[in-house]
Amino acid sequence: MLKINNLNANIENKAILKSFSLSINAGEVHAIMGPNGSGKSTLSNILSGKKGYEVSGEILFENKNLFDLETEERAHKGIFLAFQYPLEIPGVNTNIFLKTSLNAIRKARGEKELDAIEFLKLVKEKAKELKFDEEKLNRQLNVGFSGGEKKKNEILQMSMLAPKLSILDETDSGLDIDALKIVADGVNTLRNKDNSFLIITHYQRLLDYIKPDFVHVLMNGKIIKSGGPELAIELEKKGYESFN
Amino acid sequence: MNEQIQLDFYKIIKTLKISEKEIQLKKSFLKKFIENGFPNRKQEDWKFLDISQIIKKNIGELSFFNDYSLPNKIDPSIFVDGLEHNKIIFINGRIEKIDFSYEDQSQIEINDEIGKNIKFDYENSLIDLNNAFTNKVYKILVKKNYSLKKPLIIYHSTNNKIKSKNVNLSLNFELEENSHLRLIDYFNDNTGKNFVNILYNFNLKKYSILKNYKLDKFRNNNLKYSFNNIEQDDNSISETFILSAGSDYFKNEVNCNLNGEFSSAFINGILSLNENQQHEIRSTINHQVENTKSYQLIKSVLGKNSKSAYQGRIFVNSKAQKTDGYQLSKAILLDETSEFNAKPELEIYADDVKCSHGSASGSLNENSIFYLMSRGLNYQQSKELLINGFLLDVVEKITDSEIKNLIKNIVGLKE
Repeated sequence: MLKINNLNANIENKAILKSFSLSINAGEVHAIMGPNGSGKSTLSNILSGKKGYEVSGEILFENKNLFDLETEERAHKGIFLAFQYPLEIPGVNTNIFLKTSLNAIRKARGEKELDAIEFLKLVKEKAKELKFDEEKLNRQLNVGFSGGEKKKNEILQMSMLAPKLSILDETDSGLDIDALKIVADGVNTLRNKDNSFLIITHYQRLLDYIKPDFVHVLMNGKIIKSGGPELAIELEKKGYESFN
Repeated sequence: MNEQIQLDFYKIIKTLKISEKEIQLKKSFLKKFIENGFPNRKQEDWKFLDISQIIKKNIGELSFFNDYSLPNKIDPSIFVDGLEHNKIIFINGRIEKIDFSYEDQSQIEINDEIGKNIKFDYENSLIDLNNAFTNKVYKILVKKNYSLKKPLIIYHSTNNKIKSKNVNLSLNFELEENSHLRLIDYFNDNTGKNFVNILYNFNLKKYSILKNYKLDKFRNNNLKYSFNNIEQDDNSISETFILSAGSDYFKNEVNCNLNGEFSSAFINGILSLNENQQHEIRSTINHQVENTKSYQLIKSVLGKNSKSAYQGRIFVNSKAQKTDGYQLSKAILLDETSEFNAKPELEIYADDVKCSHGSASGSLNENSIFYLMSRGLNYQQSKELLINGFLLDVVEKITDSEIKNLIKNIVGLKE
């Protein structure tokens, strides 16, 4: 599904990712763990098409070159990024935003756009699953939401849009244990043989609830070790320094 | 200009049925206007947008004569749909119709007071120009304890019979104790290159409420100046909302005197401009006595080659303890050629007051755009959604829900 070959990324002449390579097949869950400044967020930004990076190398998503696609086209193709810091958008109603987003993606996929009633039925169902306060859907997007609510809102968007590849950028940071379980449930519900996940995290904790197929250790812009779920446990015990 | 303006003046005087004394008064205003000419950037209040230069550049030579003898045909397609309302219709500055058919006629008085020129403590040469040339000055009086059942919409239309003309119109309102008026100024222009000069005076007695909505939405090449003078007695409320988006040039001035205790004034405005538009809101709130309140929120969205200015002055008299004054202006600049100017002024002579002001401007937040695009919205949709959100909270300040919905539709804002 996703093939990253020799990706180099610089920002203001500083190398962030160095010859980074990774393959994710349909149905797989990959976790990338790494210390601060190792390039985790840069990777998720580049996959989503954020501007401002000098890049070389190749990223193929379902055999299409991602560098040819704008941010919204990547979303239409099924790439979703759950933001580490979801933005507050004043004056934009959460429901209106969700409906605009869902219908933009459905339209690009050649599916029928949902009318207000169909949309509300769906969003209420999903909000209930995620124990997301329905009243918040009528508020301005993320404005005045707690850190946990913002993260849950990301997962709500993810489950509404049903992407093929979901990238979770430190979704676990700032979550209490109950919220963490709800987020993990959201991911596990969506998990099937066609959908893949890339979970970026500092800690092994989230991986207790979402069992990854592969764990990679990212340091200084490179994957220095890959393995199964046991690698996360080893990391948690020994710390990142032992891998240096 | 001087010779032409005198000739135009005498031509107009001939068409008016007014006394010699009134003619002399008008002449004195003309004399003052000729001495001072159009305001220009040397005057502090006009330093951002120089109307004298803008008239020269956009219109060239102005003609001051208008033939008010023949009626203009009213095109009913301009009427606002979906809201029952009373009407005053100006076409090319001529009053074509006054219709208060939704109201109890004994509760409203309408008189032409052309001879009684309105006096303010604030002066500029455009007010002199207006007083010299305006052909009617209706005074509309709403009687004690009467709330108009329906809003009054004043239609300001122009048609292709006029070009390069100066049009002056003036209205005087008195709201007696505990009366209530909702007033919408609705601009609709089918011609351009004219300079429209509008002068309103409002006298708000105790417990009266005035809500004035000025809606300049449709793109046109006219230049406009509007001056609202508002005098407020105890416990009266004035709410002014300005949508400044249609004309090539529009300067809205609001001069508000809070003369009675517990009176309050609210001014909210949107300046949404594109190619070659230059608009300004200038407000002066004079807190003259104790326990008065003012609140102002002005937002600009500025496209390529457009310019907006907000000058907000809050004056607090030494007697005016417990004053609460607030103003905030914000602007989004969409292009490197867009320009926003803000000049907040606080002049405070009392010591127990709460006054604050703020101003911020910047481009659209690229991170917010990235966030929205990562959810499948294209750049244009993301931009529109953010601008919509930016402007929505100004419209949300409108306290009348019926008119708020109308304005949301007119502006094209979604909740």
